Amino acid sequence: MSYNYFLGCVIPGRLPFLEASARKTFEKIGIKVGDQAKYSCCPDPTGVAQLDHETFLALGARNLCLFEESKKNILSLCSGCTETLKTVKHILDNDNEEKEKINSKLKVIGKNYKGTIDIKHFAEVLYENIDKIKEKIKKPLNDLKVAGHPGCHYLRPSEIINWDDPLNPKTLDELIDAIGADSVDYSLKNDCCGNPLEKSDKDISLNMLESKLKSMKEAGAECIVCVCPACYQQFDFNQREINKKKNSDYNFPVFYITELIAIALGIDSEKLGFNFHRIKVNDVLQKIS
Amino acid sequence: MQIVDFKFRNELIKEDFSLNYCYQCGTCSSTCPVAFITNGEYNPRKIIEQSLLGLKDLLIKEQSPNVWLCCTCQMCVEECPQNVFLTDIFESIKNRIVLLGEPYPETFKQQAKSVIENGLAIPLSQPIIRRRDQLELPNVEPVNIKEINKLLEATGFENKIKSQEAGK
Repeated sequence: MSYNYFLGCVIPGRLPFLEASARKTFEKIGIKVGDQAKYSCCPDPTGVAQLDHETFLALGARNLCLFEESKKNILSLCSGCTETLKTVKHILDNDNEEKEKINSKLKVIGKNYKGTIDIKHFAEVLYENIDKIKEKIKKPLNDLKVAGHPGCHYLRPSEIINWDDPLNPKTLDELIDAIGADSVDYSLKNDCCGNPLEKSDKDISLNMLESKLKSMKEAGAECIVCVCPACYQQFDFNQREINKKKNSDYNFPVFYITELIAIALGIDSEKLGFNFHRIKVNDVLQKIS
Repeated sequence: MQIVDFKFRNELIKEDFSLNYCYQCGTCSSTCPVAFITNGEYNPRKIIEQSLLGLKDLLIKEQSPNVWLCCTCQMCVEECPQNVFLTDIFESIKNRIVLLGEPYPETFKQQAKSVIENGLAIPLSQPIIRRRDQLELPNVEPVNIKEINKLLEATGFENKIKSQEAGK
């Protein structure tokens, strides 16, 4: 079964340039991904789920039903959406009582969840095709020192995400190394970027980000790579906030892994919308061009 | 003085039986990045302890420790030697805070409002639609908001999150 994109809310509504890099990358490595109409918010595992579990299941299940009707698996561009959709599927596939309860809600909109499709995070599919990526590299990103930030919902809870090592993740670094860059080791690699706490306590959220940035700087990173739009926003939007508050000078360019892969595959950087990044990426682009 | 509420404790256990397995070793708090940043003011072990003891008022009314400070990174869930699903238990507690009309952070309400009105946490704005054109991105057919509202009515979402005003 082939894939349709699940774009989520943050990427199409705020960071469409990340979507552009993903679409161009998948096209270049020859993986055809279609578009799915009419999906809603996944919903946010750090938001709506915390308010009402039943609504979380019902909205998530409705999204799964749309892909079942299209007979397409889900390729998600966001770690939060991936966690939500995988969690909803896990619960409904393993708990018949819960499935019946949610299906009775879905009945009012003429839908019924069956459990016939699968969900993948985009980086999972890239990793499955790492040899294809290596074959097609035109411009290896030699000597670029990259701090990979796998983020939380890409990995955990492992019982549901069932993918990379949840405490010692390797896949993102292997993708970084595959395009000729150097993935750097840093002590807080596995820590949360702090983004979800923006909703409850901005100070704590920024302090968590600062610890990560400090650890990346000590390891000699030149830029940050992530695989989730929430983490992307935290890194790209909030380094300046920290500098204002703490009189520091963090200025790491932030990339989605698909942006760096797209460059390595020879896709014209003019078409990737790098001008929309808050922290300018020109120095890195010059270095690898 | 804190009052032990057995009904509350049993409800939490019924929703996630793994709560029963906790032997208070504190691995969760030692792996929690928020506990680290707040010097232990946020303390997942303590939330689990209070859940096991049924200290409902501390968790729901006083919110001490504040369960909304969980960043949902799930490091505790991975590291727990007893396989306690802490983040699910925290979610149950938060769902109860909402349902019982106790205060919770405003940003959550704003997200819920946007989902009710638009079906999306972040609706497409005109500048973003122009930016999408510039990037030659396809239009994505939007969600049918009437369908979403029907479904949300069936789960009673709006009433559940509105009970804050009603309860006061």
